[in-house]
Amino acid sequence: MGRSEGLLTSAAGDTPAPSRRRRLLRLDLTTPGLLGLPLAWLVVFFVVPIVIVAAYSFDVYSLFPGPHGFTFAGWRGFFHDAVYLRLFWKSVQMSLIVSAIIVVLAYPLAYFLALSGTKRKYILLLVLIAPFLTSYLLRVLAWKVILGDQGVVNSFLFWTGLRAEGNPISQLLYSRFAVMLVLGYIWLPFVALPIFVSLENLDRRLLEAASDLGASRLQAFRRVTLPLSAPGIVAAFLFVFIPTLGEFVTPSLVGGASGYMYGNQIVDLFGTGFPDWETGSVLAIFLLGVVGVLTIVFSRFLQPRQVAAD
Amino acid sequence: MDVALSKHGSRIMRVFFALVVVFLYAPILILLIFSFNNSEVPSFPLSGFTLHWYRAFLGNSDLRGALQTSAIIAALSSVGAVVLGTLASLALVRRRFRGKGPVSALLLSPLVIPYVVFGISLLLLFHQLGIPRSILTVVIGHIVISLPYTILVLMPRLQQIDASLEEAAYDLGASRVRTFRSITLPLILPAILSAYLIAFTTSFDEYAVASFVVGTRVTFPIYLYSALRFPNQLPQVIAVAVVVITISLFVVVAAEIGRRVAERRLGTLDA
Repeated sequence: MGRSEGLLTSAAGDTPAPSRRRRLLRLDLTTPGLLGLPLAWLVVFFVVPIVIVAAYSFDVYSLFPGPHGFTFAGWRGFFHDAVYLRLFWKSVQMSLIVSAIIVVLAYPLAYFLALSGTKRKYILLLVLIAPFLTSYLLRVLAWKVILGDQGVVNSFLFWTGLRAEGNPISQLLYSRFAVMLVLGYIWLPFVALPIFVSLENLDRRLLEAASDLGASRLQAFRRVTLPLSAPGIVAAFLFVFIPTLGEFVTPSLVGGASGYMYGNQIVDLFGTGFPDWETGSVLAIFLLGVVGVLTIVFSRFLQPRQVAAD
Repeated sequence: MDVALSKHGSRIMRVFFALVVVFLYAPILILLIFSFNNSEVPSFPLSGFTLHWYRAFLGNSDLRGALQTSAIIAALSSVGAVVLGTLASLALVRRRFRGKGPVSALLLSPLVIPYVVFGISLLLLFHQLGIPRSILTVVIGHIVISLPYTILVLMPRLQQIDASLEEAAYDLGASRVRTFRSITLPLILPAILSAYLIAFTTSFDEYAVASFVVGTRVTFPIYLYSALRFPNQLPQVIAVAVVVITISLFVVVAAEIGRRVAERRLGTLDA
């Protein structure tokens, strides 16, 4: 955004004051023209829909015709009936574990690419990230093929005689483990990116100084590299935690009953079986609130630069 | 002495990197192998080579229809997202106005909304307005989702371009539209193309939001999702998966190379 100032100063350099003022005024007049359409689109198709969900959660709107009006009943039920909160907590735990594990796995990868001085670091980074840019559903499909009772792992074990035929390791698929494995697989490439960016921006001279002053590599890592890459770690963690918290596609495909997550509950409340849009809206707004708070609290780590980098 | 990694450490890291790459690509490789396997069930031992599954999906009209629907939706929504994203990025980079912080926060906020929440929000909006679900409702949702990605690609590129180039054109009497068309647009064209590709692939692959607002014409991800529940369709779907993943890997690599080449060439203009 420093550029807009550049525009002003360059204009100031070669035009007399009055005409400059007139022109700046004209430039400013076009700002609504530029922003009008994108903002209107987001207000109508993003903000208003969320407000409507909130209205449903207070029963201002209702799926079924009949008496309804502003009430906290849905919210009271949500906080008193522990079922939904317990499910939410389970999803939080699953997302936390997945995010923590893959950040720990991705850190050395990013460290290696950013600091080892390898010439092909951008090519290697692309190799790492490319799977993330292919189809999400198809990568889940791959794991379904691998983990099923008749799947690649089990049939391989039968074939090699490591396990008796008809006695598959059935916890592989339709379990909490399967959901977490697949989520980790899907997000691992992406998570390396913000860490890589923060390590790449690190001034290597700091490490050289630390080494000159007698620090071992481990000390330099703990006192210099790790603290300076902390923003990247936080960003990476949130980039996984936030989307996996509301995940419903992966658990519905590989989760079975034990891998059922909060997002699945929301979908089911809006489903065709026994729709309960009021409770579903409460759940949705609650999730949105949690994500919103996380985003605002950590907003300084979530600068667009972290993702937009090469 | 290398300050970041010892020789030994570097070797360990290289092995670790290789292991992770194997972990990431092995499932894709397994799909590739089983797409040529002559069996209804993808399991060991392999039972011979066949192209049957590829022929089967080429002859599957539901599948072709779904691919076509997704292509239409992706083409429309990516054009919409790139147009809106270009307008927004120009305002954010080139203009000074009050409330820039909140405005850019709003423009980027679709990045963090859980898709399940956004999906039901759109569903309730269309329900409330009595708008039937169709290709158009999916396009509307996908434009919202893709918009922040296009902004994230376009803004850094616009920031690199010296505003005095536009100033010069303007001083020489070009209108604002003319300035954009003959100065700004050619300079940001590579970024516009990569924004378009990102928006296109985002939409083409999007299941979560589409699942709430899709009409009777299903998209490719929605077709896939339902096909995953019928085991007899599995080998065909695996064959499609191989084709789609191969194409998208090619597009990713080509786009990256193209962008680097183009930006290097245009980079000389920036100085």
